[in-house]
Amino acid sequence: MSEVAAFFAWAGAALIVLSDGRRGLALGLALITPGFAVLALVAGESLAAVAILLGGAFAAVQRLRTGPDVWGLMPSGSTSRLLLSIAGGLLALWIATSVMTGPGAPLRFAVLSVLGLMGARVMSGGQTAALVTALAALALSFAMAAGLADTGPGPSPYIVAALFAVGVSVVTLERANGA
Amino acid sequence: MEPELAIGLPVAGSVCAAVLRARPRAAVGAGVFLGLCGVVAVALSIPGRASTLLGITLSMSSESRALLIAAAVALALVVALAPLQVERAILLTWGLAGLAGMAVIAAAPSLDIIVLAVLTMAVLQARSPGTRPFAIRLRGPVLAAALLALAAAAARSDGPPILSRLAAVGLVAGLSVALGTLPYVHQFEPEERTATSPVPWMAFIGPVLAIAVLSRARDLIPSDAGAFGAMMIGLGLLNMLWGSLASWRTETGAAAWHYSFMADWGLALCGFGLAIADGQRAALLVLYGILLSRLPLYLWSRQSLREKRPNDRPINLLAAAMLAGSAPFAGFAARVLLLRGATQVYWPLALVIGLGLLLWLPPSLRLGRSLGLPRGRQAWGVGVALAVNVVIGLYPQPFLTLAGL
Repeated sequence: MSEVAAFFAWAGAALIVLSDGRRGLALGLALITPGFAVLALVAGESLAAVAILLGGAFAAVQRLRTGPDVWGLMPSGSTSRLLLSIAGGLLALWIATSVMTGPGAPLRFAVLSVLGLMGARVMSGGQTAALVTALAALALSFAMAAGLADTGPGPSPYIVAALFAVGVSVVTLERANGA
Repeated sequence: MEPELAIGLPVAGSVCAAVLRARPRAAVGAGVFLGLCGVVAVALSIPGRASTLLGITLSMSSESRALLIAAAVALALVVALAPLQVERAILLTWGLAGLAGMAVIAAAPSLDIIVLAVLTMAVLQARSPGTRPFAIRLRGPVLAAALLALAAAAARSDGPPILSRLAAVGLVAGLSVALGTLPYVHQFEPEERTATSPVPWMAFIGPVLAIAVLSRARDLIPSDAGAFGAMMIGLGLLNMLWGSLASWRTETGAAAWHYSFMADWGLALCGFGLAIADGQRAALLVLYGILLSRLPLYLWSRQSLREKRPNDRPINLLAAAMLAGSAPFAGFAARVLLLRGATQVYWPLALVIGLGLLLWLPPSLRLGRSLGLPRGRQAWGVGVALAVNVVIGLYPQPFLTLAGL
């Protein structure tokens, strides 16, 4: 179960890296959200899972409502993005399973892959819609990274990250609409 | 309850100042009142005592509390003595928002909440109208947040010792990116408004952020404190050298000020890296100087920089002396403490730092001249900034005691 959830999270992050249209970006966030929620649930953080699910779902729906109304998957010149998605995933998998030891490899893989890919997405620039989607996913991955600690972080980082995801999807879009 | 109020009241003040912007007096009045209440809450908070009113454990350290108070005083100084053409309500809106974010960073229970606070502040700053694109303005803070989160993940995972070393590298790099010091200098445009430029990260938010990250770093990588300190010192020396030389040689006056902040951060990073009491004291005095003197002087020099009318009056020379860290200003006490600390740790380091300090003189003369001839409120402001700096320089102990040092 955890492994499938972690794969969903990576696939969602890869989709956000590869997409420019609102459908592709929303689907990417919609894949990351349940992936992270399941991983939080497996770690015994049910309130955190609900927060992640609500925050991520709201941000994904909001993304689906605004932005370029296309899938925008792999536009021309996106070979480097494809390589980044695959290489980033492989690197995260290697670090999470071979360099780092102990239980929780799926969570580590999910966190490292989403954090790395979303960080790269924001750094590479692009349209506001893609940036805010990546920011929402990045915030969720920060909260999930808190779950790597030996002592549980409690629900606070997850709730803060969920609120950030909701906020960034609403506030920035208002401005993009000319507010 | 104090940490919650320290966060909530400046937020309320910022919102009020923004909403009432059409009625400037009401905006400033509401903002000042709520901001003052927030500062009182910070001052009344007991360092180390946790509060869980919101379900999150919030607690402030003595150092963070002291720098928050210093930041609030700097904001008050800048708003009260703002040049006539500057809209105080806007200044207060941004300043109180920054203060609230700093209070969150200071009181956050973990590095994860700090990272999320940095991300939130970055988005709020990047979405405001400015000359640099949204994506460019986000780059620095987002990279900082990602590096800090990766470092925390590496530190928390089991594995070979190299993971802990990588965590140390990530923490130093993340802090450096967040501040905008070398080698992650934020893109700076001289004509950009200060609130939306990278300067607040370096000169307003930076001090509290650095203290918060460094205190979490000690808990995350206790076994690699030596390597962490060595990297901080190396980065500090690099910034001292580059910041002072660039501040001297760069063509644009505003960029010279930007680089001068970087040079001061070099001193602070060296002090923190020494990891002994004298080093910490020196770093804290440098940060007080950045908040209470260098930042206000930078803001008051903007008009003169635009009009390109430098001046060589005694007030300019006094300002230059303060910026160069000569006696009796706070910078002098900081430098003495830093040299004493470096001598205790490794005397050749004191020699290198001592030689580096000579580089402050030419850029400081340039920056002092760039203030032009301060008149009216600006003249009062420069006078107050100089007086505050002299007081810290002559009597540093009360300010260090406030920070628990």
